[in-house]
Amino acid sequence: MNKMQGATLLKYKNYRYFKATSLLMALAITAYVLIRPAGGESYGGTWLGYVLGILSTLIMVFLMWYGITKRRISGAPERRQQRIRTTRSDEMAAQLKFERRKTRRKTRGLSGATLQEWLSAHVYLGASLIVLVSLHTGFHFGMNVHTLAYVLMLLVITSGFYGLNVYLNYPRLITLNMAEDTLDDLLLKIAELDELACTRALGLPDEVNALVLKARHETRIGGTLFQQLSGEQRDCPTRHAVQQMLHLGEKYNQDDQPKIMRDLYSALLRKEKLVLRARTEIMLKARLECWLYLHAPLGIALLAALTAHIVSIFFYW
Amino acid sequence: MISCLLIHVSRNPQGLPVCKDSVIAGATIQIGRGAACKIHLLDHRVSLLHASVRRSEDGVLYIDGERNATLKINGFIAQSAPLLPGTHVEIGPYALVVEPAASGHDLILSVELIHPLNDHDAALACRTAPVTIAALGLSKRKLGFSLAACILFLYLLLPMLPSASMVFDKWQAGLPVTLNGSWSPGPLAGGHALFEAKCSTCHQRSFQAVSDEVCTGCHKQVGKHLTKEELQVKTFKTMRCTDCHIDHKGSERLVLHDSSKCVTCHGDIKRKIASTELANVNDFAAGHPPFHITLRNGQDVIRVRQDEKDKLVEKSGLKYSHKVHLAKEGVSSPQGDTVMRCQDCHKIKESGRHFEPMTMQKTCQQSDCHALDYTDPVGGLAPHGSEPAVMNHLRVFYSKWLNESPENRAACDSAADIQGITACASDLARKNAAATLFSKNDGCGECHEIQPVSNREVPWKVAPVRINQDWQPGAEFVHAKHDTMGCTDCHDKMNSRSSADISMPAIAKCRECHVGNHPAKGKVASGCDSCHRFHQGVK
Repeated sequence: MNKMQGATLLKYKNYRYFKATSLLMALAITAYVLIRPAGGESYGGTWLGYVLGILSTLIMVFLMWYGITKRRISGAPERRQQRIRTTRSDEMAAQLKFERRKTRRKTRGLSGATLQEWLSAHVYLGASLIVLVSLHTGFHFGMNVHTLAYVLMLLVITSGFYGLNVYLNYPRLITLNMAEDTLDDLLLKIAELDELACTRALGLPDEVNALVLKARHETRIGGTLFQQLSGEQRDCPTRHAVQQMLHLGEKYNQDDQPKIMRDLYSALLRKEKLVLRARTEIMLKARLECWLYLHAPLGIALLAALTAHIVSIFFYW
Repeated sequence: MISCLLIHVSRNPQGLPVCKDSVIAGATIQIGRGAACKIHLLDHRVSLLHASVRRSEDGVLYIDGERNATLKINGFIAQSAPLLPGTHVEIGPYALVVEPAASGHDLILSVELIHPLNDHDAALACRTAPVTIAALGLSKRKLGFSLAACILFLYLLLPMLPSASMVFDKWQAGLPVTLNGSWSPGPLAGGHALFEAKCSTCHQRSFQAVSDEVCTGCHKQVGKHLTKEELQVKTFKTMRCTDCHIDHKGSERLVLHDSSKCVTCHGDIKRKIASTELANVNDFAAGHPPFHITLRNGQDVIRVRQDEKDKLVEKSGLKYSHKVHLAKEGVSSPQGDTVMRCQDCHKIKESGRHFEPMTMQKTCQQSDCHALDYTDPVGGLAPHGSEPAVMNHLRVFYSKWLNESPENRAACDSAADIQGITACASDLARKNAAATLFSKNDGCGECHEIQPVSNREVPWKVAPVRINQDWQPGAEFVHAKHDTMGCTDCHDKMNSRSSADISMPAIAKCRECHVGNHPAKGKVASGCDSCHRFHQGVK
């Protein structure tokens, strides 16, 4: 998704969902201010509180339905197909695969809406919950399951806002960083430079050789979640090797070694640049994906908390 | 236009070169991985468009590297170089060598893959750490369902246990954190805090609202709104205690100060109950009738609208002028002129609502005022009491006085025996009482209405005293809350000469500070229950 598509997502059909949710929020705020069903006492148990609560619940279910619709339109993840392959007979798997392909070709959901339309509605309706549910609470908070559901909802929405932000901005940064290269291209180039650097370093002193070998074997691209998100490796051996090569170049400035040293320095410098680009790619992709690892699980947790909230209200009516 | 002969060099199994020629031409010759490139180098290590061969203005051919692409020319990294015969250009794993020129072609280039990708390189590429979050093995579903399971266990299953078994209910009451504490939306009010750990005290049945019987089980003395049982049942059959008394809203709040529920009936009560004497009430500021004043009319109690001025007369049986007592220059007393304040007589009760009843001894005779003295033929002090008691006192007093010395008996015309002295004492008492205590405007008559009656022993009758104690029994006014104001700010008594005057403030006076249900700037919002109580019998 590039910036233009992102902008279309927010402006979908001339801000249709922005207008609709703005109207919804304006109505809710007006009702909250003007209608005082309990003589100024605002809480979820008044009739207006119930209306806001039911409305918010329906919106939440609709928002979660987006997760199912997304899969229906864009296809199930690879993992599901693998599971099908391993658990069913080949014939059944082939049949299912065929059906899956048919489904994948779909660009519209059951309602006829495109995925972009679903997402546009998802974003705006999700944002409107901040207002609707806050009004539903009557701004009463405490250490209880009701506030837990509210906090989970805010976390889901906040992670969603982060996701929207990265989806609008990061594809452009990824393109700027990678141009026409792919991560595999960069990794191959890095491997080649490592090979080259090791070959060049063979005839050089042990100190240089060790530096180059360390840069080859201990430079990590990707790694843990934190390393992926930060796009860095603490005390990166390649960066260390490049810095050290400047000093070592002066130290071993003898006879025929300057050219080899220069070649080696050049190779390491190119590798450092490639490593940086590869890590940046991984960082951007990780940041593009990481929010969903909060958004989706917290969404499921919210559904559980919402269930507990609703049951508790009527259990102890 | 550049005409170029391209010699593709490959090696046979013996390592000997095998050449294949092709001719390409164009204004510029692109080199790269992309299919559009005229020199197409199919390897991932070559960029899509890696370099271009161009002709400069002076006719020399040169190679120009694209942005982010690396060229190695004659062993050196360079971005651009002229393509002279023998020039060795490395693009990724390929080596391009400019061959000596020959007729018919501007440029002859040999291209050879000198660094083929081997398995070792591929293995290195695969040895990198995970490059995506998905590769870390994190599962959104597992995380989500784990969280959901924890929440459902802690906040749904555990809180239900006390309702399932009394054993759990008793056990959890002793825990520092109760199992169903997480369901409580807020602290309980006042004394209900006792049941904080035992929800089943009020929530006796699952999925059923708290019943009125639960409330009245403890609150047995709560009065009904209406005294007529039939009307009470008919009017409030759909209402529950919890409609107005909403708990879990903090320790101070249990009563819902919501006038709209009152207005539901009282806003149009004339239509709903045709026989009612009550007026429709919608809002204190805009839809409240004039106050009614409750008066005593003899033995009866009557209610008079405050705008019916001619009926607003207090018949207390007393003669009293507030103007005289509250004169700025003071009122004469045995201690000299004394400036009196309202509080000297009207002493507020501890509740802050009503005043202590006034008495002759504590109120009127404070500072030795209003002593009931008589003078002729000898002075004395009469008690404040009933007419017979006063007359008895006088008779006893004069009997004693006549018996004290023969000179005193000179005041009598009758015989000096016991009957004569008794008759004389009665006579003196009657004369004296007529002259001082029971005169129309002196003694008792200074404050009381006195009528002569045909009784030989006690020939006067003092009108009964009925001082009004509660002018508005249907409303509740807390004087203590209004102590920032002076008494006369509301009660216009400074110019009242008669005890018949009623100086209760009209509704307009209250509206100077109070508005109704809807807040207004500089005013106090006041709902129905600011003055009225729901749980009291209304007659």
